[in-house]
Amino acid sequence: MKNKRKLVGSVFSTAMALSLVVGCASNNETKAPNEPAKDGNNKVEETAEAPKLYELGKEQLDITLFGNYAWYAATPKWGSEEITKYVQDTKKVTITEVPNGGNNVQKLNTMIASGELPDVIWGERGTDVERLREAGLLVPLDDYIDKYPNLKKWLDPMAANMLRSPDGKLYTFPNWYSNRPYGNAGWVVNKKIYNELGAPKLETTDDLYAYLKLVKDKYPKVVPFESDLAAEGQGIDQIFSAFKENNLSFTRFYAVPEGDKMVSIYKDQGFRESVVYAAKLFREKLMTQDAMTQTRDQVQEKLNNGKVAVYATSNPTVYAMQADAELRKTDPEAGYIMIMPIYKEGLDPSKIFPGTFNKLGWNSAVITTSAKDPEAVFAFLDYWTSPEAMTLQMFGLEGEDGYWNGLEADGVTPKFTEKVKTDPAGLTKLQGKMDPLMWVGNTVFVDDLKAEIQKTLAESERNWATYWQSEITWKTQGDATEFIDLLPNPETEEGIAFQRAKDIWLKVRAQTLYAKSDEEALAMLDKAHDDSMSAGFDKVLVKLAEKWHKNQEIMKGK
Amino acid sequence: MAQLSVKTVESKPPLKRPTNKFTIFMKQIDLQLMVLPALALIILFSYVPMYGIMIAFQDYKVGNSFSSSPWVGFKHFAYFFNSPDFALVMKNTIIISLLKFCIGFPAPIILALMLNEVRRMRFKRIVQTVTYLPHFMSWVIIGGLVGSILATDNGSINMLLQKLNLINEPINFLSVPEYFKTILVSTNIWKEIGFGSIVYLAAIAGVDPSSYEAASIDGASRFKQIYLITLPSIMPVVSIFMILAIGNLLSAGFEDILVLAPNPALRDVSDVIDTYVIRVGVNNYRYSYATAVGLFKAVVSVGLLTMANVVAKRSGNSLW
Repeated sequence: MKNKRKLVGSVFSTAMALSLVVGCASNNETKAPNEPAKDGNNKVEETAEAPKLYELGKEQLDITLFGNYAWYAATPKWGSEEITKYVQDTKKVTITEVPNGGNNVQKLNTMIASGELPDVIWGERGTDVERLREAGLLVPLDDYIDKYPNLKKWLDPMAANMLRSPDGKLYTFPNWYSNRPYGNAGWVVNKKIYNELGAPKLETTDDLYAYLKLVKDKYPKVVPFESDLAAEGQGIDQIFSAFKENNLSFTRFYAVPEGDKMVSIYKDQGFRESVVYAAKLFREKLMTQDAMTQTRDQVQEKLNNGKVAVYATSNPTVYAMQADAELRKTDPEAGYIMIMPIYKEGLDPSKIFPGTFNKLGWNSAVITTSAKDPEAVFAFLDYWTSPEAMTLQMFGLEGEDGYWNGLEADGVTPKFTEKVKTDPAGLTKLQGKMDPLMWVGNTVFVDDLKAEIQKTLAESERNWATYWQSEITWKTQGDATEFIDLLPNPETEEGIAFQRAKDIWLKVRAQTLYAKSDEEALAMLDKAHDDSMSAGFDKVLVKLAEKWHKNQEIMKGK
Repeated sequence: MAQLSVKTVESKPPLKRPTNKFTIFMKQIDLQLMVLPALALIILFSYVPMYGIMIAFQDYKVGNSFSSSPWVGFKHFAYFFNSPDFALVMKNTIIISLLKFCIGFPAPIILALMLNEVRRMRFKRIVQTVTYLPHFMSWVIIGGLVGSILATDNGSINMLLQKLNLINEPINFLSVPEYFKTILVSTNIWKEIGFGSIVYLAAIAGVDPSSYEAASIDGASRFKQIYLITLPSIMPVVSIFMILAIGNLLSAGFEDILVLAPNPALRDVSDVIDTYVIRVGVNNYRYSYATAVGLFKAVVSVGLLTMANVVAKRSGNSLW
């Protein structure tokens, strides 16, 4: 009896051990065939030569998509609400997100290492895309662009040239590309507090300082200046913009142009002044003391409760719009307004840019060699950026009870219904909901429609974000197209030096905020300059300038 | 007596033993087979992946295979040792882990000793449950919790201190470098103390009650009993855990530091080897460099573990 039990035990444990081994072995096998993904390029050319267009809706098309941002989630789930359900039914396209679990870098790394890439990766252009391209994991789009109607029509050829990789091919499908200024960065003021304090002049940095002091005196429970997530540069980048003319978001490179060269940002007069100014605000408790540690939720809570007097960030239209709606619910006098960008006395206000835009859009989608039929994926993206699909994403389904019904004579502009006027909140909600699914937004088409609608509305009926975009932010964004994609490849010597400089930058930018005196802040900047230089940043500066001049040449059409 | 009960685990049975190793093995075949799955697990997930260590000596790029990457010798190690961050990272790692070791290691033992003296079972159970629950929460949640409790605008602690008129201006707990280590270590203890004490409670439960009876007849006070009976009885368990803790000295923390120190201004006091690896290595796609730094840490850890074991051997409580 005892022996029998023994035997059962041993057989059982052996079986378990074996199953472990076998289980893992089969895993290894499934991974192996994905490895030769490198020569996927050849495959692509074959399919590209096929003369026929891929017809959406002919057969079921499943696309996997990965959003390369920690904050990103492709919600609502595809097919779970009526708009994507409609696309699913009529075009037979189903998009499945590969979730990033809040840690996009690691997830992407894992997918690259295991060779299990999604069909589409959506995120920043630049080094990530270049890295994937060099590894031969991306499909060039050139052959498809000419075949399909929409991207070819709406993308500026100059922009297309700038998007090209060093091998001369185009790999990225841009998002929210445009040839006109757009963007949301700027300064927001709490209307109620501002009016109660007698609406003082609020134009220069001195005005701002005086106003913040006044707020702190009169409203001790209110945060005078809210920066949003300053660890990412929010708020403090806008302060920097006030101290330098033609400032085109140079905090991305830790360098500013001087003549035809790039020089270290730490020696820039405007930057140094802005650091001292921000440190002064922080020291005197005129700026949120949680600037470097808070989360977005904490910021939004303060905004929604009206506990913020002045707010500056790169995307206030979204956040302040929510808070504005929240405050108006209880008090029609409350809410937020935007003001023209703050500038330092003596500078030309027309050259102050709290944010920048570029004609290539803010990010892009790439198709990987893991896609079974890259042309089909492209066909979908091309459809998704078309007027027809943009109308769906922005205004929902067609119908008498929808926001639009039928098309104008031009065959693309939707005929808007009265509901656009009567239910702007519902429309805002719809657009907010669909926003995470707008991977290849067509800015020119959409902005024209938005402007069209705004014209028909009375001032009080206008959408907060759209109103301030047309009144202020679009006019005050700088064109940084010539400064895009300057960063060196992370694996090169310059790339490593740049990472080191970035490490120093992030640290010093946070530390200067806590500086006890102006001298201390400036000394920190000098030390950061020396540290960056000894890490090889001088070579990076040369590379940045080279790439910048190359961009300028492409823009001039050479 | 207490000594005895523990000793039996290690002391060899005084039987006539067959000398042939195979015969010994076959006699315990049922037990040996049960070890197999565990062995397989360790080999598959701890030893097999070790071949990847070779990229520490290569210039590995994504998309290349390991075999096609060029060999560069100790280049990445040299870069780390010469990097301006090296001294700072090592300093922080050692300080933080020593703090965690000196305060965090005895804490669960003390809690276990205290709980053992509690006579009301209900109270004891409640305390145990309450103290070990945080162990099951992920660091991300704890980070959010600590972040909002200690916040300057609307943080509960600051509100409380202000209402009690202890402070006039809110304190910026999460941004002052001097406070960071205290917050880190105390959060760690709060999270892990209950779970850590379970092992010691179990060890204490194994102590023969008759030794306590004998001691109390001899007139030993409660403190004397703890000091002379309970502590020596659980010493073998304590020393094994101590050896393991010393082996982990270079793991000063990872998730806890990532979530509690999002502020780059704290980096001078919060940057440890593991956070450095993820920030500079992995997040910049420098896999070879990340591997090299990780390998360095592993080698030092093995050294520390061996040293601790040698010392513990003298007291007869070593791991191997």
